Amino acid sequence: MRNLWTEGSNRRDFLKMTASASVAGSGLLSLPGHAQAAPLNFYTWSAAVDTVKSHLGAFEAKTGIKVNYNNAPWAQYRDTMVTKFVGKAPLDVLWVSDSWLPEWADAGWLAPINNFPELMKYNAEADDFSTQSMQYKGKQYGLSYYTDYMAFFYDEEKLKKAGIKEPPTTWDELVQQSLKIKAAGISEYPMMLPMARESWLIEFLTAMVYSNGGGFTDASGAAIMSDPKKGAVQALQWIVDAVNKYKIISPACVETGELNGLKSFSSGNHAFALLSRYRIRTLNDPKQSQIAGRVKQALMPAGVGGSHATVGWMRFHGMSAQAAADKTRAANAAKLIEWFGGKADGQYRFQKMLFTDIGSGFAVKGLFKDPEVQASYAKYSDMAMFEKQQQFARKKDVITRWFGEWDEINGSAWQSAVIGKITPADALKKSAQAWNDLRKQS
Amino acid sequence: MSNKSKGLRRLIGTPVSAYDQKSAMLFLAPMMVILTAVAVFPILYSFWISLFDLKLTRPHRAPFVWFDNYVHIFQDQMFWDSVGRSTSFTLMSVTAIMLIAMLMALLLNEDFRGRRILSAILLIPWAIPYVANGLMWKWIYDSGYGALNGLLFQLGLIDKYLVMLGDVDKTMLLITNSFVWKEVPLATILLLVTLKSIRADLYSAAKVDGANVWQRFIHITLPALTPGFALVMIYETMMAIRHFDLFFILTEGGPAEASHVVAWQVYVETFRKLAFGTGAALAYIMAIVTFTLAFFIIRSTSRKL
Amino acid sequence: MKIPHFGRRALLFFASLLFALYVLAPIGWLVSSSFQSEAEITSVPPHWIPEEPTFENFATIFTAKDKVVTYENRKEGDTATGGFIPSTAKNLLPSMWNSLVVAVSVVILNLLVSVPAAYALAKIRFIGRDSSIYFMLTTRVIPDIALVVPFFLFVQQLGLLDSKLSLIITYLAITVPFSTFILTGYFESLPDDLDKAARVDGCSRFQTLTLVYLPLALPSLVAVVLFTFLTSWNEFLLALMFTQTLASQTMPIVVASFTSDFNISFSFINAAGVLAIVPPVVVAIMFERYIVSGLTAGAVKG
Repeated sequence: MRNLWTEGSNRRDFLKMTASASVAGSGLLSLPGHAQAAPLNFYTWSAAVDTVKSHLGAFEAKTGIKVNYNNAPWAQYRDTMVTKFVGKAPLDVLWVSDSWLPEWADAGWLAPINNFPELMKYNAEADDFSTQSMQYKGKQYGLSYYTDYMAFFYDEEKLKKAGIKEPPTTWDELVQQSLKIKAAGISEYPMMLPMARESWLIEFLTAMVYSNGGGFTDASGAAIMSDPKKGAVQALQWIVDAVNKYKIISPACVETGELNGLKSFSSGNHAFALLSRYRIRTLNDPKQSQIAGRVKQALMPAGVGGSHATVGWMRFHGMSAQAAADKTRAANAAKLIEWFGGKADGQYRFQKMLFTDIGSGFAVKGLFKDPEVQASYAKYSDMAMFEKQQQFARKKDVITRWFGEWDEINGSAWQSAVIGKITPADALKKSAQAWNDLRKQS
Repeated sequence: MSNKSKGLRRLIGTPVSAYDQKSAMLFLAPMMVILTAVAVFPILYSFWISLFDLKLTRPHRAPFVWFDNYVHIFQDQMFWDSVGRSTSFTLMSVTAIMLIAMLMALLLNEDFRGRRILSAILLIPWAIPYVANGLMWKWIYDSGYGALNGLLFQLGLIDKYLVMLGDVDKTMLLITNSFVWKEVPLATILLLVTLKSIRADLYSAAKVDGANVWQRFIHITLPALTPGFALVMIYETMMAIRHFDLFFILTEGGPAEASHVVAWQVYVETFRKLAFGTGAALAYIMAIVTFTLAFFIIRSTSRKL
Repeated sequence: MKIPHFGRRALLFFASLLFALYVLAPIGWLVSSSFQSEAEITSVPPHWIPEEPTFENFATIFTAKDKVVTYENRKEGDTATGGFIPSTAKNLLPSMWNSLVVAVSVVILNLLVSVPAAYALAKIRFIGRDSSIYFMLTTRVIPDIALVVPFFLFVQQLGLLDSKLSLIITYLAITVPFSTFILTGYFESLPDDLDKAARVDGCSRFQTLTLVYLPLALPSLVAVVLFTFLTSWNEFLLALMFTQTLASQTMPIVVASFTSDFNISFSFINAAGVLAIVPPVVVAIMFERYIVSGLTAGAVKG
């Protein structure tokens, strides 16, 4: 087997390969019975590229199925894939984010994997919120390889300096502790909460809403976000007060995205932060963070009448509708999905590698007990806390076909409230209105 | 024979020679072929799509709705707000670009030591890839540790770091600044090229007549620069109206829609909402407006072009 | 400009300083930050001169070698094995080569197409002149976002996905209208008498163009070269959609890919940005003397 990625690889061969893949993909040549003839087209975003490549190499060695691996930058991934779908470019297996599932499934671009029992069996060993995030209208669309949740972090030393012994367990306690830290001159804006318009925003908002004991929608899918007793109004009010009244969150939060927030927290500007859980690795890495070794995870503070609930998200390997339409391609694609999303050679190799390489989370419950996993995590954080908070993670309740459109309106509404243009109640009314309208239209 | 009288001749309608017509066709052929083959299909396709209520998430039902998409757009308040933002962005940018570029071109037109280095430096903003440019400015403008805040702080102009992109009053100005900075080199080059075409003896003759610096500027330089100005105005207007990259990298239309311009709206409709019909219709509205503006600029600033 | 000699010098100096500052300040920060480590780059107030300069960012770009990636040698996002330099770092130089090939091809083709067209539009009276200009304009008024999908379909039909040829053709179509505009404007400012004189001497239209006007149009040709080169060099959206692998990926795509690995390094991206500036600036330096020193249309006496 020749690895296609070596510098010396013959460019002409490569173009030939791509061309034949396109031809095969476009169905001009049907190749029944030639199970290994057409290479698979695998698309991901540009994360952990080396890890993926190494795992792919092993796949190709084991099965003899060639894979054309392509990746696009995360910020442009969705747009690139939409264009490829519309243009019917050859695609077999791709990474999908839970937020896009209804859209892509309804557009007919993804195929369910329910009739691949060898894939469905992995659900038994995975966390529920992860499996549910891959399901839409009763069908499942892939296997997860990365699952994580929004975590609450604090800088232990700053707390100590202010004479605080334990991290806060409620949002109100956080306000009190922050005011203390601020008064002691330790940090100007002790709480770091990213509120910039980007794909991460909904995760931050949902975490706030869930921990305040509510949700955006109820079980039937109707909007409850404008109901003052259902968490969202309370959450937004808390944020607005934190920015404008107590001044413990910087007014620049509306321009701070998840990445900038990470940088800011790691430079020691804040005492508390809401960030993706896997960021703890960077936060405690002395080469990347000025507060390395001092960052700890605590349970998500609860709102009044709330809990330590948080939002969980996941990414999975999906199969394209084109691949599913052709028996051989479908079979090969399923093999690839299993290799990455399930077990490879009897182990959850990819999930484990991702975890030890970049610290990203996983849905497989068994991995928490794996000694290598535990040893790796112990270097920078507390496994018990990781597991505990994951038990409180719930999938987002706004993922529908119209999510993309609603997300724009909702994000803008929350931002308007934070900068004081409208009241939280009005912001959420607007949001709920948009939700109900979009729901009716579809 | 002056250019003016030639234009006059055209109006009178002297017949065109066959040789001329044939040569012109021949000379234009390659360009026409390329543009027709490559650019015409996308334009027609976009127009066609804009006549359908096409939402990719609902692919089985895409009714032909004539100009409904356009009507809905015009009835949407968000659209008109975006138009306002696009307009102010374009006006501010084009004005700033023209002013700065003119000053720079005048400077570079002078003969002095170090001019060569200066003109090489000039091109650097133009040479940076858009992504690196966007990220660089995002970094500079950062409210937590950006260089702009740092500079103002160290110069004593502010006593604590200000909110930059997150402040709705500042957002558009900052984005405009980044855009202008990147566009100035091209505008300067174009104006400089035009300046180079002004015959030196016009200046000498004027000096002999006793005209001073200012008078020479007003009566020779400015009029001769008009085609250059027209060129720069057309190009920069087109670029400003359709500019998208900085809005994407710096603010994604935020905060709270402060930087939500029409070009951003096209992106949102097409790629975020997957409403291709509406996206195409919006793009077409932009196209028509841009064309009209360019048309008027051409008409009003030149005799032939 | 005849103001007293000393005053003129001072004015020019002051103006040059302002000019240079305006252009170079952000660049200076870009360069400085590319020599800083990730931790230093977030200092408040910023370190204008790196206090702990490091060449790590540049070293990685130049020494990153392609290799067969196996379980054993995959780069981990771990300080022990390589930190947070993105794993696509090794693609930067090859992609710059792609960008260079594409840009140069587009420049050459562009000149071949635009120059005759501009000459015709400027100097020949013929039917359809004005419509040609407006036609050119029309092809450029639609925003790029809306063109992405149709262009993609078009390129795909031709079977040119993931090839540099698709980029060359598309960039050609994008840059020709404006190049023609620039050249037409410049040609028009050149006197018509030259045309007459050449024709009297027995030249065909083509000879008039190549032997008489081209040499005089050097500044505008250079402007077109720079415009075309830089537009092709910087173009991002269409390259993103049309390319899939390193066979055709251009530099902006690879730079963008640095921003999305799980661990991001701003100082590294800035280093990539610095490197990305170098080729266009080299091209600019090669050609700028033709604009700045410039030839004036002194071919006609009086």
